[in-house]
Amino acid sequence: MTEFMKRLLRTPQGFIGLALVLLVLLIVVFGPMIAPHDPEKLSPLARYKGPSLDYWLGTDQYGRDIFSRLLIGARATVVMAVLATIAGTLVGAFIGTTSAFLGGRADELIMRTIDAIMSIPSLLFALLVVNLLGSSTVNALVAVAIAFAPGMARITRSVALSVRKQDYVNAAIARGESSAYIIRREMLPNVIAPIIVEMTIRVSFAVMLFATLSFLGLGAQPPAAEWGLMVSEARRYMHLSAGILIWPSVAIAVVAVGFNLLGDGLRDALNPRT
Amino acid sequence: MSPNYIAKRLVMIVYTLFIVSLIVFAITQILPADAAVMMLGENATQEALDALRQTMGLDAPIWQQYATWFWHVLQGDLGTSLRTGQPVGPAMFEALGRSLLLAFLSIGLMLIIAIPLGIVAAVRRGKVADMVVSLVSYAGVALPEFVTATVAVLVFADWMKWLPPTGYVPLTENFASGIAHLVLPVCVISVILIAHVSRMVRSELVDVLHTDYIRAARLKGISRGDVLRRHALRNALLPTITIVALDVGYLLGGVIVVEEIFAIPGIGRQLIVAIQARDLPAIQAGVLIMAATYSIVNFIADILYAWLDKRIQYD
Amino acid sequence: MTNTEEHPALSPVLAIENYSLDYETADGPYHALKNIGLTINRGEILGLVGESGSGKTSLAWSIMRYLPKNAREPSGRILLGGDNLLEKSGSEIEAFRGRRISMVFQDPSTSLNPTLSLGTQLSEVLVRHRGLTRQQAWKEGEARLAHVGLKTPAQMMHRMPHEASGGEKQRVVIASAFACNPECIIFDEPTTALDVITSRQILDLFVELQAETGVASLYISHDLALVARTASRVAVIRRGDIVEQGTVREIFANPKEDYTRELIAAVPDPARRLVKDDVATAETPLVKVENVSVHFGRKPFLAALTGRKTERVTGNNAISLSIDPGEILGIVGESGSGKSTLAKAMTGLNRFEGRIWFDGRQIGGLADMDAAYRKDVQIIFQHPDASLNPRQKISEILSRPLKLFGDTADLDKRIGDMLEQVRLPRTHVQRYPHQLSGGEKQRVAIARAFASKPRLVICDEITSALDVSVQASIVELLLELQKASGTAYLFITHDLNLIRQIAHRIAVMYRGDLIEVVPAAEIESPDRAEYTRRLIEAVPRAAAQYQ
Repeated sequence: MTEFMKRLLRTPQGFIGLALVLLVLLIVVFGPMIAPHDPEKLSPLARYKGPSLDYWLGTDQYGRDIFSRLLIGARATVVMAVLATIAGTLVGAFIGTTSAFLGGRADELIMRTIDAIMSIPSLLFALLVVNLLGSSTVNALVAVAIAFAPGMARITRSVALSVRKQDYVNAAIARGESSAYIIRREMLPNVIAPIIVEMTIRVSFAVMLFATLSFLGLGAQPPAAEWGLMVSEARRYMHLSAGILIWPSVAIAVVAVGFNLLGDGLRDALNPRT
Repeated sequence: MSPNYIAKRLVMIVYTLFIVSLIVFAITQILPADAAVMMLGENATQEALDALRQTMGLDAPIWQQYATWFWHVLQGDLGTSLRTGQPVGPAMFEALGRSLLLAFLSIGLMLIIAIPLGIVAAVRRGKVADMVVSLVSYAGVALPEFVTATVAVLVFADWMKWLPPTGYVPLTENFASGIAHLVLPVCVISVILIAHVSRMVRSELVDVLHTDYIRAARLKGISRGDVLRRHALRNALLPTITIVALDVGYLLGGVIVVEEIFAIPGIGRQLIVAIQARDLPAIQAGVLIMAATYSIVNFIADILYAWLDKRIQYD
Repeated sequence: MTNTEEHPALSPVLAIENYSLDYETADGPYHALKNIGLTINRGEILGLVGESGSGKTSLAWSIMRYLPKNAREPSGRILLGGDNLLEKSGSEIEAFRGRRISMVFQDPSTSLNPTLSLGTQLSEVLVRHRGLTRQQAWKEGEARLAHVGLKTPAQMMHRMPHEASGGEKQRVVIASAFACNPECIIFDEPTTALDVITSRQILDLFVELQAETGVASLYISHDLALVARTASRVAVIRRGDIVEQGTVREIFANPKEDYTRELIAAVPDPARRLVKDDVATAETPLVKVENVSVHFGRKPFLAALTGRKTERVTGNNAISLSIDPGEILGIVGESGSGKSTLAKAMTGLNRFEGRIWFDGRQIGGLADMDAAYRKDVQIIFQHPDASLNPRQKISEILSRPLKLFGDTADLDKRIGDMLEQVRLPRTHVQRYPHQLSGGEKQRVAIARAFASKPRLVICDEITSALDVSVQASIVELLLELQKASGTAYLFITHDLNLIRQIAHRIAVMYRGDLIEVVPAAEIESPDRAEYTRRLIEAVPRAAAQYQ
């Protein structure tokens, strides 16, 4: 484990990515405790304030402290994105592995169907699902997970197939190992690494997709402090104060870049041959 | 490229549209919306509702409704909008035209910027241009369209007052004003595509530049520039065709957001309106048209690729 | 063969004087080449022999001035006809390359641009260096292709690389190297990627063109036998040092350095048999392969739709052969001849038609390959990198067959014993495959195969990814294990000299067909099939004549 960390921290992507993701996780855990203000307390007298000692990042159109709202909104944004990605990955990995394992016509049918589903843009797919289930944070999670599953199924399958062709798997087959052992001990450890990398990178897509759903009014609902929703609400007031628009955008960007860099770093660190 | 391959791809398009029609029909059937109530209003009598349901075929079993709908779609009848009472097809295709204009301009702008950027970054690896590409590509993954769009409106429309903030003017009506209204949406859509495609061009070209045949050409005494032009570029840019085609899926998603923000009456905005109004025939038609567009673009890209790259022997 | 060693007064075409090359790495400089001194005269072929990592290819890049950014040249000069290449500017070097000095590469399938026609790639050299117009260059290109022995040069000019065979492509590469009558040509393993018979033809072409033009040639190879046959002088390089150089006769008859002697000893010599021909033909052979055929592929989509008949790709075509207990049966053939396909069929990795009999028991397909059969029949693959799971430690890799086929008592001790059996230290159990060298990895794979005390071990090209000296020690280990255990081997290889040393009988395969099975001692008999005779003729023999 320590050697793995060393490898991860050796690359600049891994180092910066890990630092950003850790920062975000700290905010997720401790954010609500350290928030200086009540995120939903309206102060009509303190609207559109610029950054000050009292309000670090200024206040929004209702006089709420932007910094506190960002700290608290981290949970709604990041936790949901991570959960949705994990759920989508699990479903996709299951479908992909099954398809690769079945092979032949069944594999072809499953993959062609996956291709067909992927011809619906994932944002549109998520919109349809949310609309079907009703606008709420949990439903948005389900929608993002469903929208991610086909892509992850494709990736899992292609990784599983390439591992399947390796001679160490052939050696295990020739030795007479059981399918269970081959999948569990020979294939899985080699399949999981690229999946984890892909999953990490996809968290940033999930953050953006969530924010977009909220922005379109189909995810989190006001007065929640979800970052995408904050940007959406800020649009009408942005000419009065750019801060209310820019800070949540920066927060989204930091999370997305962090997970992306971490994914790139993991890719290098998880490669056993370098 | 064999007829076999083309036939296979065509069958795949049909299969894709069939699956998409199933999905979209399933989703719209589960939606808690009653078309009859929507058309007649909340206060309609039970008899009137039943009568309408019967004429619309809503009392038939679901599979029969699907079969009827699918049969109509095959004949080019996409149904009647519950919201406007007008046929969905013509309205959707008109909207699709506007979206395609937006999409093509975006792809054009993207190609003009992304390909040279990717090439320069690959050739001058580790130099300034390379870092610019890295920065742009991270900006691409970090900023969703609605953020770039909103910030772009704030800066170029509100502060600078260079461009109109939102709205759509047909090019045939007032060309200059039409273009002016398209500048911001096109730029916003392009950003993410530029990020993705320039990164891909860069990594493809870096791979090609490390091949044995490039080294062999250099060792024949061909200059760096000639090797790049005659040997490397073609091979590195070919895969871009496939990447761009796959990005069309992402592009169509981006179009939804951008049309909503800039109030462009394209297919994305039509879909949002339809989804919000639970206008089932419009949703079905819109999703089907989007999926068809994506499939056809990818089909053309695959054929083009196979035609340009004679090495590939599809069967 | 030209021989100019009697004219030392001639000023050399290429002279490398006291040349050193370092690569900057994170762990400090890596000395790739150390104080190299070489000269090549006009009309002379200098053979440069070394194992992988010896620096022989680095030297080629140095001469061609094609070095990575982290290369440093602390000392020395490289003179081409008196011009010090180290002092030339980039554009001067560009003008030299292809005109005064050119290069032929190892693998023609990667050294030609896959999307440009062969004619375009040949004529661009002529346009660049001889100032011809495109039309003139194309005409001249056709003449050049005819000159390198291509039958239909005009058509060949228009072909894409994937439409030509390996041998044809290498001829095109050679034609472009000779196109501008350079003073010096570097040949970097030009036949390694080719099949035996093709590589013989390419070699003959090279010798012919060299004699005709008198170009000074640097012939780089790992294959001492090959170099002995083509070159007039040989330099042996090891870890960046020229260990020894001299005429071929001097090097072979009277090697001064231990390393040179080891190298010469490691070259398989068919005259020196390593096994005794004492295998008694048993009543029932251990394995009998009867009419085994393997087909690949599925019907194309349209054909399936229209019910049209299609030809399937045949991997093996009704193969019948047998292996006696304790026998080493060699299988030779070019790439694509179906050697490995047969091995895979016998281990249940390919579907097959026909029957296999093992120890009197019929194996009709995958379902009949039970634990007992698996235990008795083991396979070792070509690339140990691919056949050892990169995420498992050696201990786990070796413990599997023990757990699968026997009791699990004393596991740690027995794994250690297995490592010792293949002459690896016991401490290697804690390592991962990537922490071992290529030869060590292959030893682990051998240990794994022998763990179940098998009666037949299939060796699928297990030495071809290894250096000569490593290959020799692996072969030695295998023979030792065979002596101790009496295991039969099915030894698949493309190296005829090697198989003639170790096999009792040799099976020759060609394009999926079994040509014949003959006792190793009788493979040179004139009664052999035509293909077998061509194969034997094509193989360069070790320079026995010098010993």
